[in-house]
Amino acid sequence: MPVTKVLTEGIGEANLRDIDVYRQRGGYVQWERAVRELTPAQVMEAADKSGLRGRGGAGFPTGRKWGFLPNNGKPRYLVCNCDEAEPGTFKDHMLLEQTPHLVLEGILLGAYGIGCTHAYIYIRGEFKEGYEIFTKALADARAAGMFGKKLFGTDYSLEVTAHRGAGAYICGEETGLLNSLEGKRGEPRLKPPFPAIAGLYGMPTVVNNVETLAYLVPVLKNGAEWFSSVGTERSKGYKIVSVSGHVQKPGNYEMPLGTTVREIIEIAGGLLPGRKFAAVQPGGQSSACIFEEHLDYPYDYESMAKAGSMLGSGAFTVFDDSTDFVKAAFNSVRFYAHESCGQCTPCREGGHWLERVLHRFVEGRGLASDLEMIERVGTTITGLNLCALGDSIEPFLISVFRRFKPQFEARIQREEAVGV
Amino acid sequence: MHSQNPPMGVGDDVKLASQNAASGAQPHQQMDGAQAHEGETFAKLYAQLRPQCEALIAQYEEKRSALLPMMHLFQEHEGYVSHDAMRAAAEMLDLSPAVVESTVSFYTLFFRKPVGKYVLQVCRGLMCELRGAEEIHKYFREKLGVGHLETTDDGLFSYEEVECLAACDRATCMQVNLEFVYDLTPQMIDEMIDLMRAGTYKTKPMAQTAKPGRTWKVDQDLQVSRGGKAPGTLNSTRPNNAGGVGDSSGVIMLDRFVTNIGFSPARTHERTVRDARGVYELAEEGSNNNAGH
Repeated sequence: MPVTKVLTEGIGEANLRDIDVYRQRGGYVQWERAVRELTPAQVMEAADKSGLRGRGGAGFPTGRKWGFLPNNGKPRYLVCNCDEAEPGTFKDHMLLEQTPHLVLEGILLGAYGIGCTHAYIYIRGEFKEGYEIFTKALADARAAGMFGKKLFGTDYSLEVTAHRGAGAYICGEETGLLNSLEGKRGEPRLKPPFPAIAGLYGMPTVVNNVETLAYLVPVLKNGAEWFSSVGTERSKGYKIVSVSGHVQKPGNYEMPLGTTVREIIEIAGGLLPGRKFAAVQPGGQSSACIFEEHLDYPYDYESMAKAGSMLGSGAFTVFDDSTDFVKAAFNSVRFYAHESCGQCTPCREGGHWLERVLHRFVEGRGLASDLEMIERVGTTITGLNLCALGDSIEPFLISVFRRFKPQFEARIQREEAVGV
Repeated sequence: MHSQNPPMGVGDDVKLASQNAASGAQPHQQMDGAQAHEGETFAKLYAQLRPQCEALIAQYEEKRSALLPMMHLFQEHEGYVSHDAMRAAAEMLDLSPAVVESTVSFYTLFFRKPVGKYVLQVCRGLMCELRGAEEIHKYFREKLGVGHLETTDDGLFSYEEVECLAACDRATCMQVNLEFVYDLTPQMIDEMIDLMRAGTYKTKPMAQTAKPGRTWKVDQDLQVSRGGKAPGTLNSTRPNNAGGVGDSSGVIMLDRFVTNIGFSPARTHERTVRDARGVYELAEEGSNNNAGH
């Protein structure tokens, strides 16, 4: 089985929260080497050559993202996105709590690579324990001289600040996150300008996911080729896959990209006894379901797109034949209706509208005329919003709606609305 | 005030609305009274927390960034974010109190009214639902005798069903005052509640400086949780009225929105990718001309 341990190495075996344990296992070696021996351009080159793509959801090549920063002499910021709230994703939660120093080393390397002197990590408000663990790690690392003024006898100074959110899924969207970090409501901004041009405090900013930044550590240790030699043609390296739902052993499993969907289900212990496979949601709540015919697809960015879905943040949810997909669709839409920031009409109105229509179905009071409406409203919302939240309502809803239509039809009470 | 004329909602919200209607406007008046009484104590707290607030402000390039951390700090001491705390933050950050409230109210973890000593936030995400979260919710509701977003009469427990907590491998999960509890079973819930009632539970109770009302949500929040963010979807018991069974005014509105405003139908993320190429050129331009914003 292709389970590998790169970022997850040592988790559950050693107390990696302890800076001494982390250093004994080779921690902060790459960081010190980078500051002493490498130029920022070399770190950026390593990130670029490794083929590392954003692990937060969009899958944008990390090196290219950094390359968008203009050379205009303005201060630059690195913001680490630890606002993990995509339903089904729980990898950053694990990394933050179990190996905070690895997360920090990744941030330090990223900051050095883009030439920034003040990096931030935005931690989801619910991760209070994780925030406290990370704050302790920050204090220990500062005391050990890992960041601060004039590092390792060079002229490079770097400050790191941990910032805790207060409960809002939308703050995981990078511009919503920046607004929230600026002390505002976490409403996404109109793009362009992209954060690379005008991000935090209007300055050039890179926002990277926790897992993306953490991979910089093994990339620098083992070389860009080591990372890019694993995976598929355009999806390089490893990925932590958060497997949940109807499997025997849900959990975080790290593996090379390109492992097949079937293998991932096996890795997580297979289906529950006596159940049959129904669907997999391969990339978090925002992704469409894939079905039996896709079981042998490799789990990488391109193949998931080919299957009509996406790899997203690597949240892999398995549904078996006991699933009530009407309820599941309602649950998913309710989530987006609840988390919509309300700026864009299609998302704000459409989400609430669908929630109400689907609630009717859950209660067995559906109308035959709603079937056409669900499909129409679901697909109408897409593409009309400032950010991807509104677009995320459609994929899961429509994919299960089309596939499991009989379940929806069984909840129809009458043909059309009557009265008044 | 919504409690005089409660709009109907879906599911839990209906229950909540009717219960609120039954209890009238009491929670509101209670809180105002409590706040007047709290004035002096707050001045003391403010003096005590001021140095910590200033340290928070110093962490950021712009001081407004300290707003969320400051509100967390005040909530830790007061058990909720009081009007006084918001006014204090506004003063320290040179913002208007309205701006502070508009920001604080955006975030679900800030309570703008007192809550119970134990805030029980049980996950209702899809992954937990696949592993039996509904049974757990039912068990909690029956055990505590309250619904979603409500506080028990003794002021000990506040109960909320929250969105995914990012612990799907150990479903069903919950947080007690933001500390995780995993793999919930009815037996665990019984033990937990007993320990909390006895005051010996491992997680520290929240500070409680004022008596909580039935719910900690303010009227506007309740309207939002009922769909008030989306005026087109306000519910009605009569079919074909706005929001009623068979009403399609929301659909018509969406259609008009698309045709009249003339948005390009490209998917948002495709647009993002396309524009990203534009940014690349922009970045080049920026580096050549040293053009600023």
